[in-house]
Amino acid sequence: MTGTFLKVLAQFALLLILAPLVSGFIKLLKARLQMRRGPGLLQPYRDIHKLLQKGMVIPDTASWLFSATPYVVFLATLVAGLMVPMVAADTPAGQLGGALAVVYLLGLGRFFLALGGLDTGSSFGGLGSSREMTIAALAEPTLALAVFTVAIGAGSTTLSEMAKAAIGQQWRFLAPSQMLAFAALFLVLIAETGRIPVDNPATHLELTMIHEAMILEYSGPYLALIEWGASIKQLLLMTLLINVFWPFGLPAAWSPSGILAGLGWLMLKLVILSCGIVLVETSNAKMRLFRVPELMAVAFTLGALALVSTFLF
Amino acid sequence: MDLLQNPEFGDKMVTLMAALVLVLQIAMVGQRWLVMNIRLFGAQSFLLGAIAAAIAWYNHAPHIYAAAGMTVAVKAILVPILLERLVDRIDIQHEIAPIINVPLSIVISGGLTLVAYTVGESFYHPHAREASLGHNTLAVAISLFLIGFFMMLNRRKALTQVLALLTLENGVFLAAICLTYGMPLIVEIGVFFDVLVAVLVLGILVFRIRESFESMDVSKLRRLRG
Repeated sequence: MTGTFLKVLAQFALLLILAPLVSGFIKLLKARLQMRRGPGLLQPYRDIHKLLQKGMVIPDTASWLFSATPYVVFLATLVAGLMVPMVAADTPAGQLGGALAVVYLLGLGRFFLALGGLDTGSSFGGLGSSREMTIAALAEPTLALAVFTVAIGAGSTTLSEMAKAAIGQQWRFLAPSQMLAFAALFLVLIAETGRIPVDNPATHLELTMIHEAMILEYSGPYLALIEWGASIKQLLLMTLLINVFWPFGLPAAWSPSGILAGLGWLMLKLVILSCGIVLVETSNAKMRLFRVPELMAVAFTLGALALVSTFLF
Repeated sequence: MDLLQNPEFGDKMVTLMAALVLVLQIAMVGQRWLVMNIRLFGAQSFLLGAIAAAIAWYNHAPHIYAAAGMTVAVKAILVPILLERLVDRIDIQHEIAPIINVPLSIVISGGLTLVAYTVGESFYHPHAREASLGHNTLAVAISLFLIGFFMMLNRRKALTQVLALLTLENGVFLAAICLTYGMPLIVEIGVFFDVLVAVLVLGILVFRIRESFESMDVSKLRRLRG
């Protein structure tokens, strides 16, 4: 019992501490690739610290939804994080739910974020919410299809079982279904974290912003919670991609030495995946909003093909 | 070197490359730019050549190397160069305007792949291990065929229809190579010659259509002209 408690605590701490670091690393890498100096690696921590100490401005038209949203987004993402294997294949809250719970906890967060954007009645919030939901409606089935593909291979929808199954099999990552599911999930990762071909995380231009438009009315600690929640979501999706498809070096159960090795591998693979994301972001221009469904249709078809391939190959 | 001799590894590689061929085919359905489409076709043909080479290596069938070499030389290098020169020469609008919009086309292609898999499944014998290298790529070949047909129907311009015909031919080649481990060399040479001549003739035809109708839209070919 105390063991489980410690594991939950450790994973919470890991999620909370590592998430801003990953965001900072991606920002720094992107800046360097564009020949800029960029903000420091620890800038996201400083931002969160600064925002938490500031006062808040809450619009007069806002209802309780506006205040509830940051907490729901932050907590739903954090709880979803407990079900994803990070430093060991065994997850601390695996009994609570598997892949489906993760997908729909993230969905809950997104739903509340969209409501929060609509709640103040500002036109930008509504615009952001409608765009976010358009993309989410296409990204969510793709995510589910890709996860199901892996689940069929593992015979379970629990993420820790999937990671364990992946550890056991040689050459598995070469199977077409895995490759296609990986590609689909990578596109979902880009869409869900608001990266460049879909959304630009660094702009407040009204024509293009999606995520930023929804949270335009938030300030102070609420904004800090939402930003922190977004970076945890990004870390969570990246970890999911890493540990389900390349569980190389991931220990099966929690043990002091195993966790350290697992953490080391996780960091290494996060760095590699971040490099991939940064390359995609720097080498592409942002798509027109009406072209985004095309990208998501490609992702969906890849996911569907992956699922079909598991039965044939 | 152990790895290269292991038939299981070979099987994985052939299957993987076949899946990539399929992905490229769907990418061609989704791609709007003509030049990009031609390059995707080149990449697809290159992968096809690699599949043929892998099958030749694992089955110790040297004559398939010739087919693989010709695929790469003709379809991955020569035909794309010819088509790109044609695009340059007739100076056309580079955007493809399909009849059905792109997201729907992609989803339809996915559906056609499902059909192909259902058809191909009855030929799938997982227990016959000896002669099984790449046999499960038949479904991919059938889907290349179906999607190629769909692309021909879905596009208006003559040049893009030529490209769709070529991908359809790629599907036939993949089926031949994975079912029979290569047709006799003389047949292969005949087929390649055919493809090359077809591209040349169609290229001239496209050029002529463009000259006399000032458009490549085949739906305008309704009246005879003297």
